[in-house]
Amino acid sequence: MAYAVSLSLQYYRLGGFAGLHNFAYAFQDRLLGESLRATLLYMVIAVGVELLLGLALAVAVQRTIRGVLGRTLTYLLFIVPMVTPPVAAGVSFRLMYIPEYGILNVLLRTLGYHGPPILWMSSPAMAMFSVISVDVWQWMPFVFLVLFAGLQAVPADVIEAAEVDGAGGWARFRAMEIPYLKPLLLLVLVFRCTDTLRVFDHVQVLTMGGPGAATEFLSLYLYKIAFKFSNLNYASALALYIVLAVSALFGVFGRYLSEEVA
Amino acid sequence: MAGRRSPWRTAVLIALAGLAVVYLFPFAWMLSTSLKPTPELYTQPPTLWPVHPSLEAYRAALFGARDWVLLRNSLVVCLAAVLLTLALALLIAYPLTRLQVSASFRRGLLSWLLSLRFLPSMVVVIPIFATMRAVGLYDRLLALVLIYAAFSLPFAVWMLKGFLSEIPPEVEEAALADGAGRWRAFFQILLPMLSPGLLAASVITFALSWSEFLYALILTATPRSQTFSIAVWSFVTEFEIIWNQMAAVGVISALVPVVLLLAARRYVISALTFGAVREKA
Repeated sequence: MAYAVSLSLQYYRLGGFAGLHNFAYAFQDRLLGESLRATLLYMVIAVGVELLLGLALAVAVQRTIRGVLGRTLTYLLFIVPMVTPPVAAGVSFRLMYIPEYGILNVLLRTLGYHGPPILWMSSPAMAMFSVISVDVWQWMPFVFLVLFAGLQAVPADVIEAAEVDGAGGWARFRAMEIPYLKPLLLLVLVFRCTDTLRVFDHVQVLTMGGPGAATEFLSLYLYKIAFKFSNLNYASALALYIVLAVSALFGVFGRYLSEEVA
Repeated sequence: MAGRRSPWRTAVLIALAGLAVVYLFPFAWMLSTSLKPTPELYTQPPTLWPVHPSLEAYRAALFGARDWVLLRNSLVVCLAAVLLTLALALLIAYPLTRLQVSASFRRGLLSWLLSLRFLPSMVVVIPIFATMRAVGLYDRLLALVLIYAAFSLPFAVWMLKGFLSEIPPEVEEAALADGAGRWRAFFQILLPMLSPGLLAASVITFALSWSEFLYALILTATPRSQTFSIAVWSFVTEFEIIWNQMAAVGVISALVPVVLLLAARRYVISALTFGAVREKA
């Protein structure tokens, strides 16, 4: 870490002390701005969809599937994507997204779509969609598993009492389940947000940051600067900014989290 | 009551069945692609399942492209990382749970370890890269072993701590009273009781190291030290992508951790969600 600080204070190629040059340069870097925008977009959409879907699914399964077998099957279905290496997940989605031979466009055609084939990875908006879809596919199960476990902790007698008093499904959800899930929702939010900051593997396989810089997220941008352009100094400065941001996030939630989890 | 709920139940079951398709289809398609001989890749419309399934792609990828070397590298790295992680994690977790340690120290150490989980790996990769190059470990398997062990350590300590604190200290005290030394009590009594925890920690460490891509990409340059993730990725960068071979290595890469984790699922779910989910499946 100290080494990163010292690197960030030096000039690229020339060596020597540069003061805060690298840190200041970040503010003029237009590509960095675009990368930040892409990262935020990715974070908001991916985490948002994962949370909503995961929550809805957890509540739905909790209320309707009661048998041990059904629950076990659900569990097994959802740990599989979580443990698939992101690189392999990227490969399997890339195979489906090939414009000419990929299965998705063929399916669309049989469903009655007759326009030009959709270029899943070479138009900016679709590339973003493709990359996010992998994230949702892979990490919605995590949200589901955590929240579902949280629902088990809601005492059954409280719910029965409420049902006797005539509380409907929605009231039950708002008044009883949400308070129990709050810490877990927060936990999942922090996990997923910090994870999207470092998303790298499946993007590298699917789009490599392209087309243009449409899916060049922070980690990919950093990788490019550090290892394609070999500017370790500027990259270190950017990395330290990220550390600051993540520590701030962790400082706010971390105390709370470690109390919840420990 | 039951009558009112049944349409919902059907709806949820249908939704789950739909999700099952969404979740399993990518695997099925990858498997199917990997079994297609090359000409069949380009038939229009694509066949859902290969008409003439063959293992040609696997053979070509593993032996033709010599990726079996990378497969071997991956196995070596993962096993070494597992051993190192377990040894270190025991060294930390055992004193934390068995000896007199102040509560604030214990809490501080544990939450510091937890915080490491949130550090974007992109951030530490630069100093690590520079350090490894300086000490001559660049493009060596040892570099990856050290890094994977370091990164799995927080997980492993948290897990072993949980398992250790469920074993009552009286068991060891009894052994000590019967005249066993501290070492003997540790190796002959505690370790066997701890084996589910050790197993779970090994499986997770193995799977994490197996899937790791970023460090493998940055710290290696030649087949001498590249791992299997790199093999998977390198098919993407080829000028002409050989889809069936890419699918074949993808299948292998996904199969290893999935099989491992399904086998040890009882302990692993709880660990993956940092203890939020306990005793399930």
